[in-house]
Amino acid sequence: MDTSTVKIILQILHYLFFAYAFAAITSYIVLSIISGKETIDYLKKNSFVDYKDILSSTMSPSITIIAPAYNESLNIVENVRSLLSNHYVNYNVIIINDGSKDDSLERLIEAYELEKADFIINEKIKTQPLREGVFKSKNPAFEKLMVIDKENGGKADALNMGLNISKSKYVACIDVDCLLLENALQKMIKPFLEVTNAKVIAAGGVIRIANSCTIKGGKLVDVNLPKNLLVQSQILEYLRAFLLGRMAWSRLNGLLVISGAFGILDKETAIAVGGYDTQTVGEDMEIIVRMRRYMEEKKEKYRVSYIPDPLCWTEAPDSYKIFISQRNRWTRGTIETLRKHRKIGFNRNYGSFGLLSYPYWLIFERLAPIIETIGLLYFMILVILREVRWEYALSFLILSYLFSVLFSIVALYSEELTFHEYKKKGTGYKLVLLSALEPFVLHPFILYAAVKGNYDYYFNKKKKWGTMTRKGLATTP
Amino acid sequence: MPDIQNIMDQYHDLPFLIQLAWALSGVLSIAIVLLTIYLKIIRSYLRKKAQHHLAYKNKYEIFLVEYLYSGNDDGSLSDTQQTIIKKLKTSVKNKAKRKVIISILYKLMNEVSGEMSDYIKTLYHETGLINFAIDRLYNKNWYIAAKGIGELTRFNIEDVNEKVSEYALHPRREVRNEAHLYLVNLFRFEGLEFLNNLKTPLSEWAQVQLLETLQKFDDQQICDIKPWLRSSNNSVVLFALKLAKIYNQFEVQDTLMELLNHENKTVRIASIEVLTNLYGLEAKEMLKANFKDLSLEEQISFFEMLEKLVIPSDEPFIEKHLFHKNFEIQLLALKILKSINLDKFMAIDKKSNHKKANPEILKFVKST
Repeated sequence: MDTSTVKIILQILHYLFFAYAFAAITSYIVLSIISGKETIDYLKKNSFVDYKDILSSTMSPSITIIAPAYNESLNIVENVRSLLSNHYVNYNVIIINDGSKDDSLERLIEAYELEKADFIINEKIKTQPLREGVFKSKNPAFEKLMVIDKENGGKADALNMGLNISKSKYVACIDVDCLLLENALQKMIKPFLEVTNAKVIAAGGVIRIANSCTIKGGKLVDVNLPKNLLVQSQILEYLRAFLLGRMAWSRLNGLLVISGAFGILDKETAIAVGGYDTQTVGEDMEIIVRMRRYMEEKKEKYRVSYIPDPLCWTEAPDSYKIFISQRNRWTRGTIETLRKHRKIGFNRNYGSFGLLSYPYWLIFERLAPIIETIGLLYFMILVILREVRWEYALSFLILSYLFSVLFSIVALYSEELTFHEYKKKGTGYKLVLLSALEPFVLHPFILYAAVKGNYDYYFNKKKKWGTMTRKGLATTP
Repeated sequence: MPDIQNIMDQYHDLPFLIQLAWALSGVLSIAIVLLTIYLKIIRSYLRKKAQHHLAYKNKYEIFLVEYLYSGNDDGSLSDTQQTIIKKLKTSVKNKAKRKVIISILYKLMNEVSGEMSDYIKTLYHETGLINFAIDRLYNKNWYIAAKGIGELTRFNIEDVNEKVSEYALHPRREVRNEAHLYLVNLFRFEGLEFLNNLKTPLSEWAQVQLLETLQKFDDQQICDIKPWLRSSNNSVVLFALKLAKIYNQFEVQDTLMELLNHENKTVRIASIEVLTNLYGLEAKEMLKANFKDLSLEEQISFFEMLEKLVIPSDEPFIEKHLFHKNFEIQLLALKILKSINLDKFMAIDKKSNHKKANPEILKFVKST
């Protein structure tokens, strides 16, 4: 190749990087506009809704909360208490003790006066067998609670056990250590009941970060901004992702994921597709994609809904090690799901699911860290070869940085004008400052975790969930 | 100045793309600064608003409780009450104060009844709050109109029923729902007349709300639901089925029997459930005769019906389905057999080598 050919190739490469960045930024702008519209519509629609009747009605559909637990002895009693304090009438709670090696079961038995119950399981989905069995409370105050002790099979297997046992029409799959607000079920069930022109197969809500918040008797009483910079940055990241991203995809009926921390599924559809996939680490995304695929193939009208209310609060990793492990898993989950369902991608038989949602996830979620890494490596080579045209590099670097800061500030506006959870004086400035710092304190680690996730996926197949040590949410009795 | 001139000259000498990038960076920087300042203003405004809300709440709660408990013995308004009304009349002109007063009144309306509730309604009229709600009905924004209807429903305002009735067939589902709730809240079962003309689906959300509203009343004398059971709108049929179940409508059994052949499966299943509740023995015989032609879901519902309505003569039918391929049916069949003929059930082990027999089910039914 002569030098002119190399130059042409490099030129094409430059334009490809530029086009990718331009497309990504444009998509963020478009999604945030759609998101804003969806949020405003949601608030208008719900500004006069009286949830009281749904709350107290025995005619409202039944919901089972399924909460898998593995070695959660530290907080399990408190967490279950919080799950039992929901205001919805027609619900029950199934705790799946997934082969815990600690004394979770004993603590539950003692705290909730549990006794072994005769129970037969219709094993519609194959799971690991029961260990100690099924437990129910002798105390009528805890009649909504059921505890299943089974052999360890992982989160997906535990959720499948819950799907087999539940007698409700809908199942709310949650992480046992999440704090669910008392009105969470009535708000989340609304999309299932109000849509008449399609079947709602799943609904999710915004997940908020509870580190440093005050929790009293299983209830969230005070929202605080944590001191830890990593956790602060994740708060901002979650606001952007949930308020500016997922709301837009909800409007476009293009959601591919409902957070595993809290989501409600139509049980019939979840079972029809075979339940959660136990072979993936991204079971929450995979089941939604599979349920959508099933509905598309059946040619039935359906929706995956999302609501912006902050109904579920969870603990975010506060150390980089745990954070990287978590994001590594998320990356592998995304790769596994997209690969498994690659038939959908760019396939017009799947409508907007195949032509819009899937390609977007593939290009801007799955490939983003790879393209970014290639870009960085390429830039370093140019630096070494002294081929960087600094006037271009600097101006576009500053432009992209300013855009990311502005985008975070827009997310803050979205939060302030809707739910205004971070009310305390001085928090606003901290969050704006964080918008400026986040590209340095969070993004490099996300990129690193994603690259490592890619590496582990292809070269370290044995790696499964990784460590996710939780300290438990600070509670005040 | 020469420095700025110098920078401008250098800027003009740059390639177009770089010029564009710097210009956009400038715009973004200004936007960030302005938005940061505005964010501060918004946050301060929201904090002040919350403080004012709290202050208004404390103030008007005292006013309103005093108003409720200072009535004359004969039920007429006392001087104290009239003074409070006069004060509130001025307050309601302020939107923020009006909002607070309305929210307190909602709360009180849920907590009191009889004379107290009449006092609240009088206050609602006298202070002019009603006029704000009525004005909303004429607003071109659907959600404001819906909000207005909701408010008039909570305060049982009958005067505007003709106007609200117009919204019963509104193209927006949310407005229709509010209008339906208004009509049912005021006219109880008669308020359900809108179902006769409803062409759009009645969501499950709306159905639950309507049923809950109806159950609040002491007078549970239900109207004729047959026309709704025969409606061409499936959601109306399903709603009528719920009414039949809740209000034990034995008189519509014949119509329910007709619904067992409805084209919609959900309607057929719901009909079996209602007939189970109403001890529909005739339906049981009919379903038994057509069992093979039923869908699996209907077959399960039928076995649930049998569990309640079984008689000894059903034994041969149950025996025939003891080892049905479906888990639920097998479980129900064994349970039913155990309840009507324990000896036969206990002797079942011999048959349990049937290829579809689930030994776990048998073991479970024996142990329970």
